[in-house]
Amino acid sequence: MTGTRPQGQLASAASSEVIIEIDKMNKWYGAFHVLKDIDLIVRKGERIVVCGPSGSGKSTLIRCINALEEHQEGDIVVDGIKMGKNLKNLDHIRTEVGMVFQNFNLFPHMTILENLTLGPIWVRKMSRADAVETAMTYLERVKIPEQAGKYPGQLSGGQQQRVAIARSLCMNPKIILFDEPTSALDPEMIKEVLDVMVELADTGMTMIVVTHEMGFAKTIADQVIFMDQGDIVEQNEPAGFFENPQHDRTKLFLSQIL
Amino acid sequence: MAFVKSEKTPDRPAPLSERSVTGWMRKNLFNSWFNSILTVGTLLLIYFIVKGIWDWGFADATFMAENRRECFDNSLTGACWAGVIDWLDNIFYGRYPRDQIWRIHYGGLMLVLWMAPLWMERVKGKVLIAAGVVVFYPFLSGYLFAGGDKGVFMQLMVTGAVVALIANTANMITGLLKQESLKGFLLRVSGQTIAPDKTQRNILLAITGCAFAAAFIWQMNWRVDAVPWTKWGGLFLTMVISGIGIASSLPGGIILALGRRSKLTVIRVLCVSFIEVFRSVPLITVLFMATTMFPLFMDEGFVLNKLTQVIIAVVLFNACYMAETVRAGLQAIPKGQYEGAHTIGLGYWRMMGLVIMPQALKHMIPNIVGSFIGLLKDTTLVSIIGLFDILGMLRSISKDVPWLGLHKEPLIFGAMLFFILCFLMSKYSRYLEVKLSAGNRH
Repeated sequence: MTGTRPQGQLASAASSEVIIEIDKMNKWYGAFHVLKDIDLIVRKGERIVVCGPSGSGKSTLIRCINALEEHQEGDIVVDGIKMGKNLKNLDHIRTEVGMVFQNFNLFPHMTILENLTLGPIWVRKMSRADAVETAMTYLERVKIPEQAGKYPGQLSGGQQQRVAIARSLCMNPKIILFDEPTSALDPEMIKEVLDVMVELADTGMTMIVVTHEMGFAKTIADQVIFMDQGDIVEQNEPAGFFENPQHDRTKLFLSQIL
Repeated sequence: MAFVKSEKTPDRPAPLSERSVTGWMRKNLFNSWFNSILTVGTLLLIYFIVKGIWDWGFADATFMAENRRECFDNSLTGACWAGVIDWLDNIFYGRYPRDQIWRIHYGGLMLVLWMAPLWMERVKGKVLIAAGVVVFYPFLSGYLFAGGDKGVFMQLMVTGAVVALIANTANMITGLLKQESLKGFLLRVSGQTIAPDKTQRNILLAITGCAFAAAFIWQMNWRVDAVPWTKWGGLFLTMVISGIGIASSLPGGIILALGRRSKLTVIRVLCVSFIEVFRSVPLITVLFMATTMFPLFMDEGFVLNKLTQVIIAVVLFNACYMAETVRAGLQAIPKGQYEGAHTIGLGYWRMMGLVIMPQALKHMIPNIVGSFIGLLKDTTLVSIIGLFDILGMLRSISKDVPWLGLHKEPLIFGAMLFFILCFLMSKYSRYLEVKLSAGNRH
């Protein structure tokens, strides 16, 4: 599969410091029970891949971590802050947690550089010069510094997704969430995005990735989580998860996609 | 059978029918006998219409005459433009004192000077400039037009407006010459470019304060004679009402539209009822309410002049229409844009101001300008409640003794005037649309 690097698994950067703690979290969409008694602990530097069939609640789970969705029961503690109705807390959590979407969600009326400097200038209160410098550093890291003056609509999907990753990085977040970052891309562009994500993993960033790219999961994940119908069905290290799945539903899922 | 193309097929010129005028005509105008008849018939029709207009409006028309009788003596079938020409001053300025008309001209020039930087590529900070115009210009021009004694509030606002206009013009000049903002220029001249933010802010505050004090002292001695609003009229009055309406209906509409989408029930219900009430009532009713009913609800002795009441009514009425236009524009923005803004930590107002509104407004330009054009034309309704705006002036020509019964020509002149104004607005909106979407191909 694309994205697999020849040298195999990355060394784990996980420390013992807990950065996300989810305790008995439940969420409903109206009467529909989307997430059921979710317990999850993420340590600093840990890389977690979430997989599962569509409608299993994996996207909803990470959207809850970023407070894009409200949960009804249980606790979510991110970076020591308990999520609640307090809007100031929400904005703080969103500042510390970056997110990359399936559809990029870049701002089409701004150039790439403006997309990248918007958050640092208005939220982090950086000076314009510093923000531009940071932005160019990260654009170079995702290998498209020459596109800085263009508009998102002029870039290919793979380039847009790399810009979206750079935009998250510019905010210097503690965690980055990826919501199926390669699902909307043409096959030949998936690799360039996965390569950037692997490099990012190399730097020790805490990442939670919802993806169907199993090769990528094998390369970078410290933990793989399999979700089905709102439950975390199985959670294991990638070796154990792929070689020796325990649950029947996991076995079925893996047999279908591998 | 296998096939491999050995060389590239060369480009050939398009057939003659795609390139030549006669080819185009044959294809589009004379491609069947029925279409040929239609073409010829239409050409004849156009000829007769244009000739009729030409004969009446120019060939047989009278431009110089003392009264309508002379017009008839000159030609019975031509237009009598002399009446319109004789009344031009009234049409443009109403009954504004003739020796004070320079005030109207100065007011107009000031607006041009104030807004000119908006069209200059090299001058930055367009949003601030536009905000300055909307907030301060009405007070400066308002005093210039109305005159009389200034109250404390008016004194402060006039001072603020003068400072803002001077700063705006200076900013334009530094922008044009050195391509830097006035702020950058002042800091550079005072040698504080690399000073900490706090020092810079203090210096700028000090300069602003001095300018404000100087302007305040100057304006204490600046007085122009009072011109009561009853003397305002003609195109000038139309421009005042529709100008204020245009400038304030958009901000008002944005606020109402955001209120309508608010999560707070009280605000939402208030905004929805306000919008729906005003939208389901004709403007003329609102105008009558504003001028006849409104004073009944107020304390005795509370007097607002009729013009102010009319302007408030026009602004509220159009803000409600604008609110629906803005709401439509907001609905066209995908949810992902809100989420994208959230994930970089932008709060509600920054998200709206920096990410959502700029995109939504771009979609809305045709509708917004459509509302503006409607507003400009709707202001003629104020002639019904006794204000002599341009329509009122045009119609009073026929009651003037020398021009008794002259209806057609003034109204046609008015129609042409409105056509020019509205057509320019719509052309400009088209230009804006193309310009703003240039860098934005999805």
